Amino acid sequence: MTSLDGLSSIFPSQRFVRDAAFQAAFESDGLTAFRAKPLAVVIPETADEVVAAVRWCHENSVPFVARGSGTSLSGGSLPVADGIVIALNRLNRMIELDPSERIAIVEPGVVNQHVSDAAAPHGLYYAPDPSSQSVCTIGGNVAFNSGGAHCLKYGMTSNHVIGCKAVLATGEVVTMGGRSVEAVGPDYTGLFCGSEGLFGIGLEITLRLLPKPERFHTVLVGYQSLLAAGDAVSAVIDSGLLPGALEIMDALAIEAAEAAVACGYPPGAAAVLIVELEGPEEKIEYERRQLNEVLATTGAFAERVAVDEADRLSIWRGRKSAFSAVGRLSPDFLVQDGVVPRKRLGEALVRIEQMSRESGIRVANVFHAGDGNLHPLIMFDGKQQGALERAEELAAKLLRMCIDMGGSITGEHGVGVEKRDFLPEMFDPSTMAMMERLRLAFDPKLVANPGKMFPSTEAPSLGLSGLHPLEKAGVISRE
Amino acid sequence: MSETVAVPENLDALQTLLASESVVLPVGNQTKLPLAVDEHARLVSLRELSGILEYEPSEFTFTAYAGTPVAEVNEVLRERQQYLPFDPMLVKAGATMGGSVAAGLSGPGRFRYGGLRDFLLGIKFLSGDGEVINAGGKVVKNAAGFDIPKFMAGSLGRFGVMVELTFKVFPLPSHRQTIAVQCSSLANAMQRMSDAATSRWELDAIDYRPGTNTVFLRVAGPLEVNQVLVQEISDLWGQDVKPMPDAEAFWQSVVELDWSDSDLSFAAKIPTHPVVLRSLVPWAEQTAGVDLHVSVAGSVAWALCESQHEVDQLDHLLAENSTAGLVVRGDCRQPKIGFWAKQDIASAVKMAMDPTMKFPQL
Ligand SMILES: Cc1cc2nc3c(=O)[nH]c(=O)nc-3n(C[C@H](O)[C@H](O)[C@H](O)COP(=O)(O)OP(=O)(O)OC[C@H]3O[C@@H](n4cnc5c(N)ncnc54)[C@H](O)[C@@H]3O)c2cc1C
Repeated sequence: MTSLDGLSSIFPSQRFVRDAAFQAAFESDGLTAFRAKPLAVVIPETADEVVAAVRWCHENSVPFVARGSGTSLSGGSLPVADGIVIALNRLNRMIELDPSERIAIVEPGVVNQHVSDAAAPHGLYYAPDPSSQSVCTIGGNVAFNSGGAHCLKYGMTSNHVIGCKAVLATGEVVTMGGRSVEAVGPDYTGLFCGSEGLFGIGLEITLRLLPKPERFHTVLVGYQSLLAAGDAVSAVIDSGLLPGALEIMDALAIEAAEAAVACGYPPGAAAVLIVELEGPEEKIEYERRQLNEVLATTGAFAERVAVDEADRLSIWRGRKSAFSAVGRLSPDFLVQDGVVPRKRLGEALVRIEQMSRESGIRVANVFHAGDGNLHPLIMFDGKQQGALERAEELAAKLLRMCIDMGGSITGEHGVGVEKRDFLPEMFDPSTMAMMERLRLAFDPKLVANPGKMFPSTEAPSLGLSGLHPLEKAGVISRE
Repeated sequence: MSETVAVPENLDALQTLLASESVVLPVGNQTKLPLAVDEHARLVSLRELSGILEYEPSEFTFTAYAGTPVAEVNEVLRERQQYLPFDPMLVKAGATMGGSVAAGLSGPGRFRYGGLRDFLLGIKFLSGDGEVINAGGKVVKNAAGFDIPKFMAGSLGRFGVMVELTFKVFPLPSHRQTIAVQCSSLANAMQRMSDAATSRWELDAIDYRPGTNTVFLRVAGPLEVNQVLVQEISDLWGQDVKPMPDAEAFWQSVVELDWSDSDLSFAAKIPTHPVVLRSLVPWAEQTAGVDLHVSVAGSVAWALCESQHEVDQLDHLLAENSTAGLVVRGDCRQPKIGFWAKQDIASAVKMAMDPTMKFPQL
């Protein structure tokens, strides 16, 4: 067994943990079907300790997995059995928040929501809003280039990260980007975002903050068919509007949400569409008229406009609870995260329905319709022989459909362990080879989060089932 | 070797050329000359690989050959009431899409929705060994694999020959309106830029011209909304606010880097923040043969210089401020000015992306 003596001398004993009971908390992430016991968990409190730990890992060829809050839905923060976990939650200082420059410099363990909370007194906020934002960390968001409901207009995490100090897997400490949204030379910050912990560990992340929109206009629209809701999305886009959010839920997802939070969505709807406009008062006043005209042509049978902030949040509550709510309809489920070109959404939904019928597996659909990001929820009962495997087969078909349609195998949840076998189906061999060379440039010894993103035999494949422990506790819900 | 530029007519010809030359620097129309010359490299222009390949207005995406002039793209998008919100630079001068990505330049519109890097979704490029690489994707949202397209924004043609580019686009606001705000000092201008940037107005562009101590604010949207917002700003800053009837020409002069009446043939880009501005602006004011424009609410400065002499001074000043700059126009010796950090990872990444060292070092 690997000797961890050198590593243990970096940390006081209470922050170098080999206790089995304590370690159990780190055995898996949001992809709960999968577990692995690390050799040890280290809990640094300073960036220097992280650097020392990574250097030790590099020198001793011991794999490490950086961990934020462990909410990854693709197994990104799953430990490596012969490696250590570097838990970053205690690196949670807000190093600087400059309202006049509209930037925040944070340590990786800072929770996403806390950035917006700290910026709020200055009328600012941090735009990327994954549904897990009350617990997930900025370090995890950067590693996964996380999204949320507002990506069409504002982009993903990488569009809001302007600089990053990081320790690479080689132990080199680098500074990428800076305090300006503009830069010269190749964009290393952009490359680091979305590298899924395979390049190194982010230590200080510079985020761009935006002024909070003055006014929201949120409309919930009911349709008699999923196709009609999909067509409505195209109509809104074609009208020249740029909504902050465009979300669809199908009947099964509505049923689940209704049972969970009694959100009061239009009864009998085969699909609901949520459209949200945001901006200065006068602009919203103008655009809402435009939106009304467009929606009037879409064959909707019900419409509810949020009358105030409480009402707006109640509309969103149904949407945001949808996934966890599906846990009420089925003991287990897999959540997928594919992307198709927006104009093929309708076709994709018809095919999903067909696949569901053929396989006899129920699928609920919730999606970021504005950017073609599907989140099908594949329901199964893990206690039944072969049910998980059948659900995974369906998930694989769905991902292949996304690739065939010219889309992507992940819009925001990352490749992780879960989808690593599909990466070579999306990218051709020469592109895969270049990505592998890049990985080796950052991590010649393959110690940083091995077994993730790239197909390998280092760890078994699997799927996600069931609720995250935090979801069960009602702390977060997923999107 | 720089004088003769090879102009392959298709992908095959490009691949053949790449195989036959030992060192290659891809260029477009050489509108950013300091970035598009190299003593030891064969210059290969992508200008014949031109044209829009796919455009799906309802997808908010298009794919074009790297040699496509930005002007052509702008025009095609405009026909469908769409645009690239980051205001690509040097459009009239003849910039191509590929050159714009390689140089990583964004204009004043960058303020509202992000820069070129934020709208670039996918790139098909040739690596030095002639392999076709398809990085990123063609859909507006994609988190699969490493984000190589972002890395290529600003990579100055040193890692591959970009052949096709996929961008995200947005609906074009129906109207724009600009006002000029007279300021009393740099500090006053910086304060007003910051106030404007954090305001409820959601401005489209916030620029500053130190020479006249004027801040320029652009609103974009429906006419009646623009008018209300402009009125509110005028009420706030009173006499200091003046309408700008010829605003479009003004913004174009920023995008083309030709606002100065003097013959200032050198132009440099400098990413800035308040500390840098506080030393850069006074220097520009005191130095003959320099004209400075500050864009994107103080995040970038464009310095027009008369000669290499002022560029050298700027180089020195930036180095003192640990800031990097890039000379994009003028007959200059070295486009990289100021402080460019040296990191081991840069050479490892170069080796990974360009194992045969087909492209010059940065
Ligand atoms: C209920 C629920 C809802 C969700 N909703 C969304 C959503 O709407 N949109 C969305 O995009 N995602 C969503 N997610 C997925 C998840 O929350 C995100 O991927 C999030 O970014 C993970 O953050 P974390 O702190 O939990 O990171 P972890 O899960 O701990 O780690 C994620 C990855 O980041 C790496 N990592 C962590 N910190 C660092 C660091 N400092 N440097 C380098 N690498 C690091 C890890 O090694 C791992 O590979 C949801 C998850 C759940 C459980």
